[in-house]
Order: sequence, then structure tokens, then C-alpha cells
Amino acid sequence: MSGSRKFSRRTFIGAMAAAGGALAAAGLARPGRASAARPSGKPVKIGHMAVLSGVLGGYGQFMQMGATLAAEEINAAGGILGRPLEFQFRDTQVKPDVGVKNARYFVDEWKADFVAGIDSSGVALAVGKVMPQLNKILMITHGATEKVNEQLVYKEGIKQIFRISVPVYQDGIASAMIAKDFPVKRWATISPKYEYGYTSWEMFKKTLKQFRPDAEFVEESWAPFGTQDFGPHISKVMAANPEGIFTTEWAGEAVSLVKQAKLFGVFGKIKEWVNPMGGAMDVLEGLGKDYPEGLWVSSRYWFLYPPTSINAGFVQRFHKRWNRYPHYSSETSYSAYWALKQASERAGSTETDKVIKALEDMTMISPGGRRWFRKEDHQAVYEVPWGRTKADPKYPFRILGDMKTVPAEMYYRHPPFTS
Amino acid sequence: MLEQLFYQGMIGLSLAMFLWLVAAGLTLIFGVLGVLNFAHGSLYMLGAYLSYSAVRILGLDFWVGLAVGPLLVALAGGLMERFFIRRVYHIDEAYQLLLTFAFILIFADLVKWVWGPIYQSAPVPGALGGAIPIFGRPFPVYNLFVIALGPLVGLGLWFLLEKSWWGRTIRAAAADREMAAAIGVDVPRLFTAVFMFGSWLGGVGGALGIPIRTVSPGMAEDYIIQAFAVAVIGGLGNLKGAFFGSILIGLVNAYGHVYAPVFELAFMYILMAAILLVRPQGLFGTS
Repeated sequence: MSGSRKFSRRTFIGAMAAAGGALAAAGLARPGRASAARPSGKPVKIGHMAVLSGVLGGYGQFMQMGATLAAEEINAAGGILGRPLEFQFRDTQVKPDVGVKNARYFVDEWKADFVAGIDSSGVALAVGKVMPQLNKILMITHGATEKVNEQLVYKEGIKQIFRISVPVYQDGIASAMIAKDFPVKRWATISPKYEYGYTSWEMFKKTLKQFRPDAEFVEESWAPFGTQDFGPHISKVMAANPEGIFTTEWAGEAVSLVKQAKLFGVFGKIKEWVNPMGGAMDVLEGLGKDYPEGLWVSSRYWFLYPPTSINAGFVQRFHKRWNRYPHYSSETSYSAYWALKQASERAGSTETDKVIKALEDMTMISPGGRRWFRKEDHQAVYEVPWGRTKADPKYPFRILGDMKTVPAEMYYRHPPFTS
Repeated sequence: MLEQLFYQGMIGLSLAMFLWLVAAGLTLIFGVLGVLNFAHGSLYMLGAYLSYSAVRILGLDFWVGLAVGPLLVALAGGLMERFFIRRVYHIDEAYQLLLTFAFILIFADLVKWVWGPIYQSAPVPGALGGAIPIFGRPFPVYNLFVIALGPLVGLGLWFLLEKSWWGRTIRAAAADREMAAAIGVDVPRLFTAVFMFGSWLGGVGGALGIPIRTVSPGMAEDYIIQAFAVAVIGGLGNLKGAFFGSILIGLVNAYGHVYAPVFELAFMYILMAAILLVRPQGLFGTS
């Protein structure tokens, strides 16, 4: 089929956002057709950093899987601007100074055209601040702090930073918009003892109060990073007799928390459990059939949403390549590479200034749905669904039932971010 | 109020007994061999992964997993001692630290390579599922089981070391290697056996955690710090000290969390520093 090459060619001509998106979608749906010209010339390099060691080491591997698949498909489809795509991974160790060192290495020594990745908000902020000096685009694929888009990009005007993954609004604001309809007045939280946990809980409380003036927040318990035993936290929170528990525990800690809450009989006592990260693939797989049904969870991408052929195709190819379902970090890394391809080809160059212009206001159709890079704060706007954990005979883990989506327009904070 | 106090104390005790099993192996190995095994946390992790595999991948019963996993860990520990640790007994301690630290990295990557990046867990064994009311609130049966198991292991260790022939030999070799060797004790083999036994204890600690904790690469590093704090507080190499040190840390963690959450992370270190100042040899150590 000779159309494939034309598709990727046309992609960069597509100046109109919608058209560009649709064509990129066609490109996504037909990756690796052999008829695409073999990329040649100087490679386009993406320096990718993630957590590759320690308790969160899995997250780096999820990113590697998505990045590898994207690079293979992009190169099979003719590369970026006809040039081969190359990427390299480095460990951040969740340390801001290591992140900055990585960024400097990527740009100064390895001659990267783009920098991508980053799991932790602290690392994202530190690296973000040196991007003007390095003058390369940083495409964040995980770290969720609102300070990246609201403070660094919007207020300080650091144009080099973009984020393709959902910000903390998903955790703090969308969760409250889901929770407002519950017959629950008394809320408590068990959440991470660092900024992500605090910010999400503050946003949750503030948003919920607007809709439900009767809401009460009866207890909070903050678990340090790396907590394995949640007994003391569960005991403390349950002593306040909450009707609903909101938690932003994630990764292995979310798995331990749910298992232990179950043993402590928490789910029989409370009415609702809300965890914005509870729908992440690592938590779903980690708990398997031990995950109680009926808990409200979300994620930053969920593999069966949106129900489009583009997403289904991605999930299928991903599963074929890695023998597992994509984690959200896999999807955001995958889509980040395609976004950089689309923007570079739209700009006709990989020069930083030109690609920034191309990315601003760009729309792409990704596995996670239609993403629009908001011009003011460089945040990709897209929706991630909520749902109740539900058993499904087709999967060895819980999937989302009773799905609900809050429109992104409603829960993303808007520039000038005064409220 | 008082009920909450007792209830939280029970939670502290269950934390303590998990910790004790891991700290016991660490302490035993240090007490007898004089090696501070930084990789002991990795053996704990390996115990969790191997038992998990027995239960989830091979479909065996939890109790079979609990029996098999730690035995394999003991085997790994035996190989580690026989081919590596043994070579650094006589040289500077810094080499022991470097060598055992290298094992942390090796085990961490090995685990990622074999089991992948995914978090794992196993179900609670049927008989120990659910909760029973204690001080008016539901308390997990499984945690009660661990609370009961801890002292039993302690008693077993005490009997083994103080009352058995094997224990006397171990104590003799620990006190004076040359003399023990001179009277016919096969010291190298004995040390391998002790190292295996200590590793087995670490493995049991890991295996017992799989129904309630997450099995993940990196679970080692986090836990070994607490186990070291226990060993320091109790007196390095002193098993009785490790037992009461574990209880102290468990209770401090549980109460600290409720009554002074801001300082929660600092408590363990404050306690350790205070004890080192007042009794540098630890609570039960002899100077």
C-alpha cells in the first residue's frame, strides 16, 4: 500500500489542527508498513529520563516499553522528517540533581534534540528550570504537579516545557466532581506524605466544598514514601468513622494499602473509596482478583478508553510486543514520541523555536484520545475516565465499570490560574 | 481513648514481629560471623519473590510457598557465603560492606530481570483471612498470627543457640575461631550453615509479607534500614536485643504516627541516636 508514505508526508503539511490530528491518527493506525521510505541521515535524538531503580523502577520500564514501540513504529513509517529516531534512557533515581545532570548530559554531550520523561514532580521542576539554558524541548510524560504548567510555563514563561500526561487536576479536582454525587458527608484521606498527596487533598477538599457545603473532612493520615505497612494509618483514619476515603497512594503502596484495608475490614464499613491512581495498570495487576469490586478509581490513561480503533490497535500491538497491557506511562511515552514527530514535521525542522510554535495549540489523536496542547501553559488537555473496579472474565485483573468522564474543560484549571 | 491506645499497640506489635524476623537473621549473622550483611534486605526480598512464585505461578498453597521460598533463599545465602563472603572475613570491614552492597545491586537487577517490573502480591491464606474484633474494632487475623509467630521463632532461636549442641558449637566458634578449629570444629562449614540459617530467617520475613505487602523490586532497601536500626538499638549481634529493639521500633512507629505524625520519620533515628549516646553498645549489648 503506497498510501502510507503519503500519510506521513501529509502529516506535516497539515497545518490545521483537526486535519493534522486525523492524519496522524491514520499514521498511528498503520504503523510499520514496509512501503515507507527507510529513514536516513542524521538521527533525531530523544533523551528520556525515568525512574529505573528502586521501588518505582517499574515505572521506568513502563516508559521504556512505550518509547521502544513508538520508535520502532516511527522508524518503520519513515522516521521524523525522513531521519531515523534514536532514544536513550537514563535513571533519575527520583533525585532532582540527577535529573538536571541527565538533561545536561543529553543536550550537551549526547546532542539530543528533545528531552522527555520524568516521573517525579520535584525532578520535573528542577529540570524544567534549566531548559531555557539548554534550549531544548522537555516533554514531560508523568510528573503531575500543577506548578509545571501554571508556574514555570505560564507565569515564568519557560516555553521549552510541555506535558503530555494529565496534571494533578485529575487527582484532586476530577475526583471531587465524581465524589460530589455520593451519599457521603464524612471524608478522610490516607495519602502520600509529600507534595503530590497534599496538593491533591487540598484540591479535592476545595472542589468538593463548592458542590457539597455539607462535606466534612474528619481525618488525614500521611504515609511516607516507601511505606509497606499501612496498619497505623488505617487504624488512625478509621477511628474517626469516615464514610468515604480518598487516597492518592499509587504504585506498590496502593497495592499494599488496598490489601491491608481489606484485612482491616475497611470496605465493609465505609460507603465509598476513591483513588485517582487506583486504575493504573500496575495497581490493577498487582492486586489482581484481590482488588475489591466497586471502588472508584482512575488513572492517567486507561487501556480500554477511549473505545477507538486507534486505541484498540495500540493496545493490541503493545500486547503483541511486550505480552502485557499498556501502563499509562507506556502510553504517555508512546504518544510523546508521536507528538514530537508530528510537531517536527509540522515545523519542517527540529529546531527548538520552530517545534515550540508547532506544538502550541497542536492537536493530536493518540491512543489516549484527542490531546490538545494548550498554548498558554503547554499542558496537553485530554480526559481520563473514572469507573468502579469490576471483575471481567476476559482479564486477570479488575477493569472499570460504571464509567464516568468529567469533561476536561470542567476540571482543568484555566489560565490565568488565579483561583 | 484507652482502647485506641491498646489497638494501636497491637498494630505496633505486628509491625515489630515482621521486623524481628528480618532483624534476627541479620543479627545472627553479625553475631557469629562478624559480617554486617547489607544484602540481608535482598534476601528478605528474594524470600518474598520465591514464595510469591510458588503460590501465584506454580499455584501451590501459601504454606508450601512459605516452606519452599525461604529454603531456596537459604541456598542462595549458602552460595553467597561459600563463594564470596568467606573471602573477606580476614580483611578490612570496608570490603565486607562493598561486597554485600554489590549483592544488593545484583539481587535488585536479578529480580527485575526474572519477575519484571510489575508489583505482585498473593492472597491471604484462607484460614487467616478476615478480622476479629479487638478493643471494639476489627483486627486482621493474619496480623495476630504474625504477632504469635514472632516470639515462637525467638524461643526456637534461644533453644537452638543456648540449649543444643549445635548452638554451643556456634557460640564457641563465634568466641574464638582458631580455638574451635583446633578442637576439631569445621569452622568454614559451620559458618556457611549459620549464614544459610540467617538467610532463611530473612526469607521467612519476606515470605510472610506476601499476603499483605507488595512484592516489588526495591522492597529490600527500604526494609534493611529499619532492620539495621533494630540491630543498633538492641546491640549488634545480640538476639535478645534485636527482639526488644524490634518491639521498640514497632511501637514507636505505630504511636508516633498517631500522636506526632510530623516527626514520625525522625523517631526511629532519634531513638537510635539517643541509645547510642547513653548506651553505645545498645540495650542488650556488652561493651
